[in-house]
Amino acid sequence: MFKYDTYIESLTDLPEGEEIKLSVRDLTPGKQRYAYKHVMAIVSADPERYPDKMQVRFGRGQLHGQPYSMQVIKEVNIVPERYL
Amino acid sequence: MYKDNREYIKALEAAGELVTINQEVDWDMEAGAIVRKVCEESGPSPLMNKIKDYPGHRYFGAPLASYRKLAIALGLPPDSAIPEIAKVYLERTNKTPIKPVLIDKDKAPVKENIFIGDKADMLDLLPAPIVHEGDGGRYLCTWHFIVTKDPDNGDVNWGMYRQMVYDGKTLTGPLLPFSDGGKVFHGKYKQMGKPMPFATVIGPDPISAIAASAPAPMPETDFAGMLMGKPIELVKCETVDLEVPANAEIVIEGEILPDVSLEEGPFGEYTGYRTSPRDMRQVYRVKAITHRNNPITTISNMGIPTDEGQLLRSFSLGLEMDKLLRSQGIPITGVFMMPESTHHLVIVGVKPIYTNIAAQIAQTVFGSKLGPWFHMVVVVDDECDIYNFNEVLHAWTTKCHPINGIHVWQGVGTPLYPFLSAAERIKSVGPKVCFDCTFPLDWDPLSEVPSLVSFKTVYPKEIQEKVLANWKNYGFKSS
Ligand SMILES: Cc1cc2nc3c(=O)[nH]c(=O)nc-3n(C[C@H](O)[C@H](O)[C@H](O)COP(=O)(O)O)c2cc1C
Ligand SMILES: [Mn+2]
Repeated sequence: MFKYDTYIESLTDLPEGEEIKLSVRDLTPGKQRYAYKHVMAIVSADPERYPDKMQVRFGRGQLHGQPYSMQVIKEVNIVPERYL
Repeated sequence: MYKDNREYIKALEAAGELVTINQEVDWDMEAGAIVRKVCEESGPSPLMNKIKDYPGHRYFGAPLASYRKLAIALGLPPDSAIPEIAKVYLERTNKTPIKPVLIDKDKAPVKENIFIGDKADMLDLLPAPIVHEGDGGRYLCTWHFIVTKDPDNGDVNWGMYRQMVYDGKTLTGPLLPFSDGGKVFHGKYKQMGKPMPFATVIGPDPISAIAASAPAPMPETDFAGMLMGKPIELVKCETVDLEVPANAEIVIEGEILPDVSLEEGPFGEYTGYRTSPRDMRQVYRVKAITHRNNPITTISNMGIPTDEGQLLRSFSLGLEMDKLLRSQGIPITGVFMMPESTHHLVIVGVKPIYTNIAAQIAQTVFGSKLGPWFHMVVVVDDECDIYNFNEVLHAWTTKCHPINGIHVWQGVGTPLYPFLSAAERIKSVGPKVCFDCTFPLDWDPLSEVPSLVSFKTVYPKEIQEKVLANWKNYGFKSS
């Protein structure tokens, strides 16, 4: 089961093992499915390397066949406080 | 005509244009797939009474994706021909605008349930569907409109601009800069650095939806009133200084942030493709949600023809062009935009009284507010029936001179055009073409102009009448 997915322009957006800022959708089944969040995370093209499995899509929705794994380091809020 | 979708749904049922689905349907793709198939088959609209994870909620799909449904929505016989529907639309929208009326909150069904602040969580309260596999998110708003107000003159705008659920409190979507709502947001609120109040109306009555998707040259409240023949009933919002239709199913209130953008898309679009990729687009923060009991979320599923966007936008764009061209004294016989062209192709009939009238027609419509949405103008003469594509195609392929009869220009276009390069899309570039399918006026009618060979044009009246009178006697079935 995939825990997250992300949309990218090219695979270079997902450098192996580096801490990156990523916009992901939560795929947990139920009402909250597909909610977005921004996270700092480490990702890998090895689906077993980090705790959560991640699906990758390109800009027009095309699924990338290769499953990824990722670890969320922290969530980041990108909507300024004054609007929350 | 119908004050809400519930009355309209009954009318569709009576005309055999409704299928009621009582088994559970999944909001995650299943409902979308049903609606897509209905569009591709021009089928009856599905009313889905049981939605996974959201008891008490319902879906109404493909609400207006055929001329039959459009005729019903306008209160006409379901079998009305396209020119008849067009005639009624023109008659009604050429009258005096009818201002809306404000009614009390306790008489407004859309206030049956009110959620404000933290309680107004879209993912919790509303069954936003995944319309197509691969879409960037749950598109709650595909047959809806966004109410905004011009801060300078108070003019109200209703525009159908898609919105995706980003999280429980946030929607994102493209508010294109040449749309009416976009002009006020990009041109005014953003410049002032102030959030723009909005109210999204989901499941409006069919007439209000038609008005919101039309390029109305006035506030759509008044345009809808004209189409309805009486004022639209509005009610005040809870948290923003705006009014919404009292009989709508669901209303989301909030503000559009002037200085923040977030991910939106991709989405299956009206051109039949996903053209605009995932990008950073406008951000709508939610302050309140109100809805009727057992609310009905509308779903339009854009893709290959024919969905309501293609059908209604073709219809209203074409008829606004009709008004515009007549207002300029151009002797047109009519305008027909083909939904199958995803409102890219418009056919204009004209009495060619002077040379190059086709180029003038094309430049007038391309240069108007309507211009960014289409790029092919086919001008035929008054002998050709603009609603008969066989006749149009015949005129096109026989009268249009490949060098002298085709004019191209560079204009303004939507970033959704599938044939544009990425660079062109960013710059709102819109190449335009006009096909002049009239014979040159300086040709001598006797020695130069080819004459049309058809039953109606080559036989004397007596022979035509004799043949028609004897048609059955000869052994033919139809007349
Ligand atoms: C289903 C549907 C979705 C649409 N989505 C958008 C959109 O996301 N952004 C946009 O600018 N126009 C969109 N349009 C086109 C506008 O609704 C259309 O241009 C309408 O005339 C806008 O009204 P306005 O003239 O008040 O701007 C959409 C139309 C339909 C039918
Ligand atoms: Mn408008």
